[in-house]
Amino acid sequence: MAVIRPNILNNATARQKYAQGVNLLKNEFTGPTTQALGIPGPSNKVSTYDLFVIWHQMAMMTLTPSTQTERNAAHSGPVFAPWHRFMLRQLELNLQRVLNDATFGLPYWDWAADGQLTPAKQKKSKIWAADCMGNSGSPVSTGPFVFKASDAKSFRVRIDVNANNQLRQVNRGLRRGLGSQAPGLPKRADTAASLGTGMSTYDASPWNHSSPGFRNFLEGWAQGPGMHNLVHVWVGGDMLPATSPNDPVFFLNHCNVDRIWEAWLQKFGRSYVPTDSAPAILQGHRLNDDLSSLISPPTKPSAMLNLTADYNYDSLTV
Amino acid sequence: MSNDPDFNRPTPASISKYVKGNQAKVKASQKMKMGGHGGAESVREADYKGHQIVVRTTYRVEVDGVPVTGHLGVSNNGQVHYHAVPNLSFDSAIDLVKMLIDVFPDDFSGKAANGHGSMPGMNMPGMPGMKMARKKKNG
Repeated sequence: MAVIRPNILNNATARQKYAQGVNLLKNEFTGPTTQALGIPGPSNKVSTYDLFVIWHQMAMMTLTPSTQTERNAAHSGPVFAPWHRFMLRQLELNLQRVLNDATFGLPYWDWAADGQLTPAKQKKSKIWAADCMGNSGSPVSTGPFVFKASDAKSFRVRIDVNANNQLRQVNRGLRRGLGSQAPGLPKRADTAASLGTGMSTYDASPWNHSSPGFRNFLEGWAQGPGMHNLVHVWVGGDMLPATSPNDPVFFLNHCNVDRIWEAWLQKFGRSYVPTDSAPAILQGHRLNDDLSSLISPPTKPSAMLNLTADYNYDSLTV
Repeated sequence: MSNDPDFNRPTPASISKYVKGNQAKVKASQKMKMGGHGGAESVREADYKGHQIVVRTTYRVEVDGVPVTGHLGVSNNGQVHYHAVPNLSFDSAIDLVKMLIDVFPDDFSGKAANGHGSMPGMNMPGMPGMKMARKKKNG
């Protein structure tokens, strides 16, 4: 039976379970080590949650094709929406497993609702309260993801990247800088525009930062940073580099991005481009090309177009 | 949706199995073409009135005299971008590097006694009880 993905601000149970599940995955070690993954330093076990961090960075570093520098295996091209849907679904399944709750649905953050507030009030939204994601800071000092050096099980950032985008080991608290790199979040006018009549095409040539169409607007390169990209930039801190899943708010952002895509699919039809007949330079982004995974079997964009048998959103009003 | 149980009902064992199978891909992905001391080339192409335009741009970036070796790319609209800060593009390479200094303060925090900066990534805090080996600085 399909689970319901709720608005995190309207569901205290979802807030509590999401935090609990993240912390459980942060303390689950299934065998992989930093040494086996080529991350410098002494060999340490890698948690299931941190495998998602590495998976995201690995995709970012996989240029598609290697002869250009914009499109990668998960971003800046058509595959952005289905790849992240795939990643979210794998996280949701693993959260259900560790919570022993098959009814758990990954919550979303309706950031455009916060975008309607003044910049000052956006920083004080309920999502940044101690009973949700916790505050802004370096490190974060309230909420369920506070680092306590004396508590080996407390939340911490263990894997990030250096300025050359190389994975490295760290042992520190989570960092956020709300509103420090961008004045405000996307607004309702932006999410409404993403479903406007001018957005009926999913994506188009040149299939990168310059493309017309829904994907590039949703990702946030059109008149950017906007939409998804702007949320990353506005939260700041650990949401800025390629290891942005280090901040659990990453998945709440992407759940809302997925919700907007679902609203688009229901309005304009469950279609995707480029098709399989597109030239080889678009390998990795075509309808039935593999979406690779670090932790599971691969899937394809075509398999990600309709997951309503697995989950639905409590509302598609974006 | 896949009927594969490893997809639909992941377990610690299935996760471990797939990570082991993908270890080489993780390592390979970290070897993305880096700029190095010779700089990173970005190629922009466009067709115009039947003519093919190719613009090759090489950036060699240094902070405090030390190379920043990640790949800096340029889009056809002239915006520069860098995978270490993936959600942004910049009007100028200078603005991009300023952002790197803001986002990675640990990597640009110190200067060596010989006046050269430390290599990016070599000033990070170590794991408890771990001694970080430092690269020998060139003279």
